[in-house]
Amino acid sequence: MNKMSQEDILTAPLAETAPSSSPAVGMTGPLAAPRPERRGFWWNILSGLRSLLKGMGVTFRYFSRPSTVVTQQYPENRATLKLFDRSRTLLGMIHDENGFHKCTACHFCEKACPNASITVAERPKPATGKPELDYFTWRMDSCTYCNACVIVCPFSVLTMSGTFENSVFDSRLLIYNLTRYAGPTSQVLMKIADPEERKRMIETRGVFSGVPLLRKGGRK
Amino acid sequence: MVNLQTSWEVRTLSQRASEALAGGQLGLTTGYLFAGLAGLAVFLAAMALVLVYAERKIAAHFQCRLGPMRVGWHGILQSVADSLKLLLKEDIVPTDADRFLHVLAPFMSLLAAILVLVMLPMSPALQVADVNIGVLYVTAVSGLGALGILLGGWSSNNKWSLLGAMRAGAQIISYEVSATLSLLVVVLFSGTLQLSKIVQSQADGWWIWRAPGVGLLAFAIYLIASVAEINRTPFDISEGESELTAGFHTEYSGMRFAFFFLAEFINMFVVSALAATLFLGGWMPFHIGGLATFNAAMDLIPPGAWFAAKSAFLIFVIMWFRWTFPRLRIDQLMRLEWKILLPIGFVNLFLAAMAVLFGFYFFPVQ
Repeated sequence: MNKMSQEDILTAPLAETAPSSSPAVGMTGPLAAPRPERRGFWWNILSGLRSLLKGMGVTFRYFSRPSTVVTQQYPENRATLKLFDRSRTLLGMIHDENGFHKCTACHFCEKACPNASITVAERPKPATGKPELDYFTWRMDSCTYCNACVIVCPFSVLTMSGTFENSVFDSRLLIYNLTRYAGPTSQVLMKIADPEERKRMIETRGVFSGVPLLRKGGRK
Repeated sequence: MVNLQTSWEVRTLSQRASEALAGGQLGLTTGYLFAGLAGLAVFLAAMALVLVYAERKIAAHFQCRLGPMRVGWHGILQSVADSLKLLLKEDIVPTDADRFLHVLAPFMSLLAAILVLVMLPMSPALQVADVNIGVLYVTAVSGLGALGILLGGWSSNNKWSLLGAMRAGAQIISYEVSATLSLLVVVLFSGTLQLSKIVQSQADGWWIWRAPGVGLLAFAIYLIASVAEINRTPFDISEGESELTAGFHTEYSGMRFAFFFLAEFINMFVVSALAATLFLGGWMPFHIGGLATFNAAMDLIPPGAWFAAKSAFLIFVIMWFRWTFPRLRIDQLMRLEWKILLPIGFVNLFLAAMAVLFGFYFFPVQ
């Protein structure tokens, strides 16, 4: 008999506080706004003074410690510049120490991109006919640095590269190709022992090489 | 050990000038007068430049920034560059503005600051003029600054300017009362209105600690009320950039804006210097009555340096207030004055009168 349903448990503590004529079930009664403590003339003055002094202590701590300064003297400290992990900089594709990437041309980033700044061009593998990455086109001029491509990438190939100095005199130079080669992924390449054989399997790509494939219209 | 400077004789520039005139040395008279005028002008300009730079640097470090760093070593020439820019900027008077008053207002604001500056005892040898109603004069004349703000707000023909000016008017009427009440405490103790004599009366100790309790309380009330009088944060509702764009100087640009700016910073110095003069002994070194050796050691630091250090400290405190506290609403501002500061000020004044009457303070004057 004392077995309560889930609904009973949820509403039971409310029944005590909320008035019985509570109109909606989901309402938790009148919201209790935090009221300022008012005790008396002198108490108010002293507690106010205490909080003001506390605030002054906080600011003085910042003032007296130059190490708390966060400003970076940017053009001068280019060599030692530190960026936060969350900083949104130029999109980059991670290539390992051998110069190989892990991109499988899965198009996730392309689909995640809200304004079609990414175009992944694939080509069939010569041996199997399955797709592999050919050109990874990134339009910096339309990118909003939303980071969605980096988040969705299943192989963590995409990254915010940490560089942001990209002023050019021609807007066409803002369309980058991020991949350095076309061919199999690093997993496949590293199984091959002969470096010469690996080299034969890939085809180099430059930042501005090839005809940039720009998507027109909607998504595929 | 003999106190080297027992008399602390004050010789103001105007006094020297009149003595020279009486002696028939007309050249010396004009020399002293010119030194007073030119000295004030140079002092104003230099003080404004230094204070603007100091404010920006101090503000920056309170907020984990660096402040100006590019113009000169650590941006030390930044305020020079800024004032040059302000000099070269176009000077605009709005079409429907009251042209005469619009031009006049910044000068009124600055004039009030300079008129107080004339009376400030900076050291026994460095004071332009000294009158026997110094405190009364200073409180009366510093009210003129509000007139400049009121004129500026009225003549701009702009709703924000007018609102800011009205707020400034209401504010100065309210806080002038508390500031004067706390000044009266010192006047009671020192028994004189003359600023140089008030400084001399603190040869045995500063009034902030010699008057037990009431001195400190009066100092606190004066500091709060004077920050409100010079319209600085947390009492800068007449500027109130978040609700009134720039308040009374919304329509001002170029040199005339610079004059308001200058007046604000000079006012800050004046208020700090006055607080230092009345409560912290002005140019008087830190003395404790009876300790001759200690006092003589303190006398090694020249009086001018004492004055500068005390004023600089109070200026820093006022800047500290500005970069820590949020702005008060107008009703909170009025409540603070009429319901808190004013009653406390009256009670404090009464207690101070009692202390003077019964000689209940350190090193009482017989």
